Amino acid sequence: MTDDSRKRPAPDGTEPADAEATWRRDVLGPALADRGERQDEFVTQQMHWPLKDLYTSRDLDEIGFDPGKDLGFPGEFPYTRGTNPAGYRQDLWTMLQVTGFGTATDSAERWSKMLDQGLNGFIIEYDLPTTNGYDSDHPLAEGEVARAGTAIDTLADMEQALDLPWDKLQHLSSVCNAPQPVNLAMILAALEKRDIDPASFTLQMSNAILIEYTCVGRYIYPPKHGLRIATDCIEYTIRNHANWIPISVVSAQLYAARATPVQELAFGFSIAMEYLDATLARGFEIDEVAPYWSFITGLEMDFFEAIAKLRAYRKIWARLMKERYGAKREESLRLRLMSSPGTTGLTLQQPLNNIARLGIQTLACALGGGAYAITTPLHDEAHALPSEEAVRVGIAVQNIVAHETGVADTIDPLAGSYLLETMTRRMEDEVFAEIEKVDAMGGALAAIEAGYFQKELARSQRARFSEIEDGTRKQIGVNHLVQADEKRSIETFKLGETAERQQLARLARVRADRDDAVVAKTLDRVREAASGDENLVPPILDAVKAYATQGEICDVMREVFGVYHPDSLTSGV
Amino acid sequence: MANRKIRVLLAKLGLDSHTVGITVIAGALRDAGMEVIYTGLRQTPDMVVQAAVQEDADVIGISSLSGAQMQHIPKLLDRLRSAEADDKLVVVGGVIPDEDAAELKAAGVDEVFTMGARTEDIATFIRTWWEAERR
Amino acid sequence: MERDPIVLAERALGGHQGAGARLIRMLEEGDEGATEGLRAVLPSAGRAHLLGVTGPPGAGKSTLVDRMAAEYRRRGSRVGIIAVDPSSPFTGGAVLGDRVRMHDHAADPGVFIRSMATRGQLGGLARATFEATTVLDAMGYDVVLIETVGVGQDEVDVADLAHTTVVVSIPGMGDDVQAIKAGILEIADLFVVNKADLPGADRVAKHIGAALHMRAAPIDAWQPPILMTEAERAGGIVDVIDGIDAHRAHLRSSGGLDRKVIRRRERVFHDVLRERAAARALACAPRQGAEILSAMRSGELDPYTAVEALLGVEA
Repeated sequence: MTDDSRKRPAPDGTEPADAEATWRRDVLGPALADRGERQDEFVTQQMHWPLKDLYTSRDLDEIGFDPGKDLGFPGEFPYTRGTNPAGYRQDLWTMLQVTGFGTATDSAERWSKMLDQGLNGFIIEYDLPTTNGYDSDHPLAEGEVARAGTAIDTLADMEQALDLPWDKLQHLSSVCNAPQPVNLAMILAALEKRDIDPASFTLQMSNAILIEYTCVGRYIYPPKHGLRIATDCIEYTIRNHANWIPISVVSAQLYAARATPVQELAFGFSIAMEYLDATLARGFEIDEVAPYWSFITGLEMDFFEAIAKLRAYRKIWARLMKERYGAKREESLRLRLMSSPGTTGLTLQQPLNNIARLGIQTLACALGGGAYAITTPLHDEAHALPSEEAVRVGIAVQNIVAHETGVADTIDPLAGSYLLETMTRRMEDEVFAEIEKVDAMGGALAAIEAGYFQKELARSQRARFSEIEDGTRKQIGVNHLVQADEKRSIETFKLGETAERQQLARLARVRADRDDAVVAKTLDRVREAASGDENLVPPILDAVKAYATQGEICDVMREVFGVYHPDSLTSGV
Repeated sequence: MANRKIRVLLAKLGLDSHTVGITVIAGALRDAGMEVIYTGLRQTPDMVVQAAVQEDADVIGISSLSGAQMQHIPKLLDRLRSAEADDKLVVVGGVIPDEDAAELKAAGVDEVFTMGARTEDIATFIRTWWEAERR
Repeated sequence: MERDPIVLAERALGGHQGAGARLIRMLEEGDEGATEGLRAVLPSAGRAHLLGVTGPPGAGKSTLVDRMAAEYRRRGSRVGIIAVDPSSPFTGGAVLGDRVRMHDHAADPGVFIRSMATRGQLGGLARATFEATTVLDAMGYDVVLIETVGVGQDEVDVADLAHTTVVVSIPGMGDDVQAIKAGILEIADLFVVNKADLPGADRVAKHIGAALHMRAAPIDAWQPPILMTEAERAGGIVDVIDGIDAHRAHLRSSGGLDRKVIRRRERVFHDVLRERAAARALACAPRQGAEILSAMRSGELDPYTAVEALLGVEA
C-alpha cells in the first residue's frame, strides 16, 4: 500500500471521497481488531448527542456549512467568530468576581481589596432578605441577614456599600431581581449623595425576574406584574442613563437549574424577547433598545458543547434581531454575553479538584470567544461561603488562561473545526425549534404561567441526578476515584455573628431618625403609581431618598399586585 | 395493610429559594411510592410543624442551601417537641458543613444528607426507619 | 404513636389536630378499627357546611380555595380544607403541592389543611375524602372546602359529598364547551369564572349562562349564579362567599339540604357496602375463593359466572 490515494490531496484541496473508507479499513479496523473502543457509545455530556469517532470535511458538507454565512468575520454578522473585531488582541475580557458579604461596611472593605488585586469590576450579591424584598427585621429574615450577600435596608446601607475606590471601578453589576426598581433607586440616590457621576462607570442590573419564576424562586409578585416592574426599570434606565445596562437575561440561572444548552438558549431567548416586546410597547424602536440586552451564562465541563453554546448564543441572537425584529444597527445584532465557569460542575467532594475544573471552563470561555466579561466562581463554593484564599485563586485562574496559555493571542482559533461547526449548527437548529414551541404557547410569560419551563427543567434535573447516581456520567471524587474516608476540612468563610446585630441596629437608627410623615407621603405616591401604569422608578426614588425601607416599598406593591405562590403544577415539583 | 403509605413533608425554611435539590428529592420519593407533601418556600418552623401535624407526616425533610440551617433547624426541633410531634423522622439535606451536621444530629436530627447524597439512599433510609418504627 | 381509634376520636373532638389527622390517616389506610373512631365522632358531625370546588387544571382552584378560606377566617369561621392530588398509577406515590398556594394559612391553627392522594380512586376525590370531611366537621370546623384533583376528568363525585358545589372555569381554555361539560354543568350550585382579567372572561360567562338556560329545571329551583373572580388579587371573593351563604340559606328553606344529606348518606352506604361485601366475599372462603379466581384468570370461568360462584359459596 505504498501508493495510497488517501495521502494525496485532491486537486481542490479536499480529501478524496474514499480516503476515509480506506483509512477505516486499513488503519482503524486493524487497530481496533483486538480490543474495541473503551465505551459502547460516546455521547456529549448534556445534550447526549452521539459523537462519531471522527469528524471530517464531509460532516461540514452534509450540513451545508458555508463559512461566509455561518461564520463571517470577527465583529461581523452573524458574530459566530466573536463580537469584537480584534478578539482579545486589543483588550482581554473584563475579569469579574461574584461576591458580597456581611454588612455594607464589610463588603466595601472586601470589594476595595479585590479592586486592588487587579479586578476592574464586581458583582454585588445581596442577602436573601434584600433580594426577597424584606427588611432585616422581618421575621423571615432571622438568621439570613448579611449571610448570602450584602444587606441593604435603606439608602444609608447603599451609601456605605458604595464607599469604593471609584477610579479603579469600570463595571458594577447588581443582582436584585424582584425588588429591582428599589435597588436601582438606592444606587442612584447613593451616587448622588457621594457625588459620583453615573456616567463614569457601567451599572449592569440583572433585573431578571422572569428567570426567578422559572427556577430561582426569589419572586414576590405574580409574573405579569414582575414583568411590568422590570420593564419600568428598563425604560427609566434607557431614558436617563444611556450607558448603563438595565437588563441581563441571567440564563446562567437556567444552566444552574440543570437546563440543557438547548433549553438554556431557547428559554433564555424567549424570556429576552418577552422583555423586549414589553419595552417596545413603551414606544421605542428596536434599534434604540436591543443594544441594551445582555446575557449572563455559565459553562459546563463538556468542553466542545460549552464552546458551541457560546458561539450559538451570538449567532442566534443576531439572527433573531435581524430576521424577527428587523434590527439594523450593529449594536443590536451584537450580543453582549458575560460568561463564567459554572458552579454546578463543581463538587463538594475533593474540593481542590474544582480548581482544575475552573481552569478548563475558563479556557472554554476564552475559546468560545467574545465573552466581554468572565467571572470565576470559587473552588470552595460548592461547600459553603467562599474564603479569601478562594477569591485569590479565582482571580489567578483567569490570569493564567489570559497570559500563560496563548489562547487569547489569535482571534477565534477554533473556527472551521469539523466537530465544532457541526455541533454549533445542531444547537442552532434545535434552539430555534424550541423557541417556536414557546412561541406557540404565547411566549415566555404564558409558558411560565403554565409552568412549562419549570416542568421541563425538573425533568432535566432528575435526569442529571440519576446519571450521576448510576454512574453513566462520571464525576471525579463523586462517583469515580472516590476517597473513602475523605475529610472535608477546607477553609471556608465564616460570617461574623455580629453582622446581623449591627445591621438591625443600623436599621433601627435610620427608622428613628427619619421623618415618618414624609415617608408615608412618598409611599402613597408609590401605591398610586403601582395602581396605574406610571413608571415606578421616580416615585420609588423619592421614597428611598426619604429613607423608606426596601421592605416598606415592596409591601406597598404587595398590596397592589398580590403575592405569588406557585403550586406544584407551576413549580416543577 | 395494602393502603399504608409513607407520608413525607418536604419544606424549605426561611428565605432560601434553591429548589433544584428538593425538586429532585420530591420526584425520587414519589417514585419510591411515598406521598410527598410539598409546602413550598418561605416557611417558618411553626408553619412546618403545623403542616406536619395536620398531614400526619411520618417524615420531615428540610432542604437547606443558604447556610442558615443552624438558625432554623434547632428551632424546628424545639417546636416539634412542644407540639408532641417529635416522634417523626427529621432529615436535613443540602450544603451542610461537617461541624454543623454533627451539631444538628446532637440536637435531634435523625440524619443529614449533604450534597452528592444518592436519592436512592435517602429513600432507603426513610423506608428502613419506617419499616422498623411504623410498620 | 397512638393508634387507638377511640382515644384518637376523643382527643380529636377535644381539638387535638394531631389526633384528628391520625384518625383520618387510619381511615384512609382502611384500618379495620378506624371505623370505631369514626363512629365515635359522628354524633358531633353534621354542623359544617361542606363545600366542593372543582374545575379543570390551571383554573386556579388552589388559589381560589386559599382566598375563600381567608374570607371565611375574616368572618370568624374555622376552616377545614381537603386538597386532592393524583397518585402516580405506576409507583403509587404522589407529590401533593396544594399547600404551597395556601401559604398564608400555614401558621393559623384555625385552618386545618389535609392533602390527599387519589390512590387509584377515580371521580376527582381520594379514597377517604368522605370520612375526612366527617372528622373535620366533627372537630368543629365550620366550613370544609374540598378541592378536587382537577385532571379534567368528569369530577362529579364531589357533588355527592358537598352541600354546595362550586365549578371553576377560566377564559382561554380553547374549547368553551370543554370547560363546562354537561355533567359538570348539572352539579354546579355556583359558577366561578376565575382569572376574569383575562380576555374572553365575559364570553365564558355568557356561554355558561346559555348552557344553563338549556338544562332541565333543577329540582329545587335554585338558579346557579355566575360570578367573576381574580383570585390572585382576591377580587370577587366576597361575592363568592355571599353566594355560597345564599345557597346554604336556600338549601335550608327549600328542604334541599335534607336531600343532599340523604344523597351523601346513600353514597357512603353504597361505597362501604361495595368495598366490605367484596372483601368479605373473598375472605369468607379463602381456598375456594382462590380457586375461583384462578379459574377466572385462566378463562375457564367468565368473570360473571365467577362472581356468582363466589357468592354461592357457603361460608
